[in-house]
Amino acid sequence: MNATELRTSLPGKLVNILIWLFLAVACVFVVTPLLFMFSASFMPAIDIMKLPYPWVSDHIHWQNYWNALRGPDGSFIFLRNTLNSLIVALAVTVTTVILSSLSGYGLAKFRFKGRNAVFMLIMATMMIPFETIMIPLYMVTMKMGLQDSYAGLILPFLTNAFGVFLMRQFLLTFPDEVLDAARIDGASEPRIFTHIVLPNSGPAIATLAILTFRSQWDNLLWPLLVVQSDEMKTIPLYITRFMAETHSDEGIMMAVAAMASLPMFILFFTMSKYFISTEGLHSTIKG
Amino acid sequence: MRRFSWLFTVGVVISLCLIASLSLGVGAAGTIELTYWTHTDDNRTEIEDRYIAEFTEMYPNVKIKRVVNEGSKMGDLVLTAFSAQNAPDIFNLPIEQQYAYVQHHRVAPVNYKAAGYKGADDLKSQYLDGTFDAVTMDGEIYGLPLELTNWCIYINKRIFRDAGLDPEKDYPKTWEEMADISDKIAIREGDIIVRRGFDFRYPYYLVSVLPMIEQLGGKLLSDDGKKAIVNDEAWLKVLEYVRDWGPHGRNLGSPTYTSPRKIWNKDNNDMAMCLSGFYQQGRLRIDNPEFFESNEWMVIPFPVFEKAVNNVACSYYGHYMMVNAQTSKEKQEMAWKFIAYMLDHPMEYLMKVNIMQPRKDLLESEEFKELPYMDIFMGDMEKAHIVFLHENGYQFERFIKEAVESVMLSEVPPKEALDTLRERIQEVIDAEL
Amino acid sequence: MRHNRRFSMEQKKARWGWIFVAPSLVFFVVFSFYPIFNAIYMSFFKKNLLSLRPPEFVGWGNYRYLFHSKTFWQSVSNTAIFTMGTFIPLVVFSLMLAVFIISRTKFQKSLQMTLYSPAALSSVVAALIWLLIFDPRGLANQALNILMRTSGVNYHWLSSSSMLRLSTIIVYFWKYVGYFTVVFVAGIGGIPDYLHEAALIDGANSWQDFWHITFPLLKPTTLLVSVMVMLQCLKTFSTQYLFSTSGAPTRPIDVITLSIYNTAIKDHNIGRASAMSVLLFLVMLILTWLQLKIARTEDVTYN
Repeated sequence: MNATELRTSLPGKLVNILIWLFLAVACVFVVTPLLFMFSASFMPAIDIMKLPYPWVSDHIHWQNYWNALRGPDGSFIFLRNTLNSLIVALAVTVTTVILSSLSGYGLAKFRFKGRNAVFMLIMATMMIPFETIMIPLYMVTMKMGLQDSYAGLILPFLTNAFGVFLMRQFLLTFPDEVLDAARIDGASEPRIFTHIVLPNSGPAIATLAILTFRSQWDNLLWPLLVVQSDEMKTIPLYITRFMAETHSDEGIMMAVAAMASLPMFILFFTMSKYFISTEGLHSTIKG
Repeated sequence: MRRFSWLFTVGVVISLCLIASLSLGVGAAGTIELTYWTHTDDNRTEIEDRYIAEFTEMYPNVKIKRVVNEGSKMGDLVLTAFSAQNAPDIFNLPIEQQYAYVQHHRVAPVNYKAAGYKGADDLKSQYLDGTFDAVTMDGEIYGLPLELTNWCIYINKRIFRDAGLDPEKDYPKTWEEMADISDKIAIREGDIIVRRGFDFRYPYYLVSVLPMIEQLGGKLLSDDGKKAIVNDEAWLKVLEYVRDWGPHGRNLGSPTYTSPRKIWNKDNNDMAMCLSGFYQQGRLRIDNPEFFESNEWMVIPFPVFEKAVNNVACSYYGHYMMVNAQTSKEKQEMAWKFIAYMLDHPMEYLMKVNIMQPRKDLLESEEFKELPYMDIFMGDMEKAHIVFLHENGYQFERFIKEAVESVMLSEVPPKEALDTLRERIQEVIDAEL
Repeated sequence: MRHNRRFSMEQKKARWGWIFVAPSLVFFVVFSFYPIFNAIYMSFFKKNLLSLRPPEFVGWGNYRYLFHSKTFWQSVSNTAIFTMGTFIPLVVFSLMLAVFIISRTKFQKSLQMTLYSPAALSSVVAALIWLLIFDPRGLANQALNILMRTSGVNYHWLSSSSMLRLSTIIVYFWKYVGYFTVVFVAGIGGIPDYLHEAALIDGANSWQDFWHITFPLLKPTTLLVSVMVMLQCLKTFSTQYLFSTSGAPTRPIDVITLSIYNTAIKDHNIGRASAMSVLLFLVMLILTWLQLKIARTEDVTYN
């Protein structure tokens, strides 16, 4: 881009400033609610509803975090619930990545009868809102005896159409010559997949992994139906439980919210190089 | 490359392990496993966990799994479980919701013998009159009450005095006074209210708003149940009342402000009155012991309109213990035994959880009568009837909610809102016939 | 002979194709196709979720009912308003932000990270935060009062119909604008530099470069983003659900998914809820198909 040229002329300078201004406003809009969450999480509830909002309280109210961690009944179940969320999200992410890349590869690189039909069918499932299939899905899961178990939380999400779509689009651009060369060398198909296709799908896999992890971390409706015991609850359920407690105050709620978001923020900042880049995704998008 | 195949293998192993770890729940022969679903209440959990331990000691072949969930989600969860034929053996819900389970034969009648009664009459004689009306169908009783609750008005005396009112004399007796007093108490910054007098308990229209309509002679359904909305005048007057209450009227409150009974406990000079049950005192004791011990709060009866034709108080509602009709007879019998064992501690439920079982022995005890403001609650209870019960009651409540919201918040004329409400309820009734 | 061998090789490859697809397919059949077919089947029946009576076949009855139901059309229009109100600003703003970010020589990554950060929150947390912000005493009123130079005006964020709709749109926009900006930045980064250089040599200015090179070549990205945004908007549930259960009036934000949920779980009417799902499914299918078709007729490639 000829940005340098832009910045030298006078109207160019003005445009430049306007663009920075626009970006700054966008950042302020996006960040303010997050700052509000952190700021309120250190306040007693009385201060949060003050007019105007004080942003910083006179004294830091650490008790909010202690109460949030302790839980409404003092059982410290938050830690167990976080662990559950991690287990479920990780298991779903790993298996989704494997299954989606397998079928994405199959759909992208092999011609077989019914391939398009299979692809279309899988794509069509993307258009079903979860609320629609919730009850039949619940019946299936219950018939398999999976209530209140990790399996019940995980199995229904092992495949998602978007993952298959993403991997297929990515692998469509994978050079056929490389695959054929390996075949001529006598490599078996599974070996080609594990040793050539997977290692070279890094960016797409990272994108899919983060998306899947995120959506599982966020999952509310399904765990609500399947989980019965406190020990099996996930983070969103822990939060709604807190919301339902009439005597929990806004400060504690924000502390719960902040704590529940922390693992996602950590993951997001450490993994950011995979999806925030100027090249990562592009190859998955064309085609 | 190695790394990736290693990761791949680990992934496959993890997923296989998880699939293998399905909870198979194989019980030893002869044991009875009961699941009991109830709503979150930490005080109750404490005593009921103990009852479970005691009960399973008496019956070593019984295992009881107690599952708790937020009250607001319980209805959805129990329904989904019943529709998937995966329902708990024992559960309790608000009676408005449980009514449909009785109507659809999803719950089993009380096993009198197992519960320790000679029969239906013996059971009825030990409870307040009318306790079982809501759960009786074709002469059979389908549930035992865990609690019966009605709401009165809690007042923060300090705020009353701060607004120049004498709480003992000036407390609101009529809804007209309620609005005027709330207006006096209210402090606003521009349109934004920072201190409210009274505000409604918005989602609970059948319990707390329908009685206001009944005070003026209105009804939700005609006596034969075939016609929606009786006495338009009464309905319109209440809709006008809430319109005047809302932000487009005298701006006294609205459902988007924090729920009153939540902030009332904090005694933070922002909520003078709230509508709540006897159990509020238990919450207050935990939330704000100082305020609880002080003499700065009191309870008054549910107001009536100046031109009321019926002196009705806020409806009472209940939670009943019910047993799934589709479990084996053996389990049902054990379930009733267990329920009766739990419920046989009415005093502990009252003192520790602040919920009241309508048992005569409890109501006549000295300890009960001496509880603060119990006379007010019982006085209102006598003027009240049980919450409106109908198979589609829950749906009607949602329609009433939408009507009130549209009048209060979206400036829809009361007449128009009422016509829409009538149409929608009528449609549901007609579809049934 | 040679022809034959080639044929068997193709067959072998086809078999491997099936083998690769099969594991996913098993899960799809059990956890997606079966529930979907079940929903389609149930849409022709009248069934109360609690009733033990077998479902009663009503043919097109549920669909006929929906076509005459004011509430249903209200929820259709709520969904349409939400989708259009979210879809257009999201695509336009994330594209603009992406182009602006790419034009910066500094802070490219930190800008993207900042904008993306709300996507890391779960929707329950997002709703919790925004419910406090939209409280009459919350930040939203304070901010708007400063901006509009008014004082103490309550803008009814959660109570008046139009503001409530706007509020749900803001929450959604806030959560996803950064996410799609990142997708667009990736898309722009994927355009080979020599194309921009060629344009510069031809004497194009930045604007012309954007309009004639970047924008047309971004079509695949734009298509992907718009299909994703649209499907997501049509399926929106959690924000509306959490708002309506926390005091906001239901009617203005009673989107189809929320209506499906209430019809099934609160009204116990699984047949009618299934019919609504099937209609929503068809609409999504048609819209996606249309978008793909429009995109295909004006296909642009780099080469």
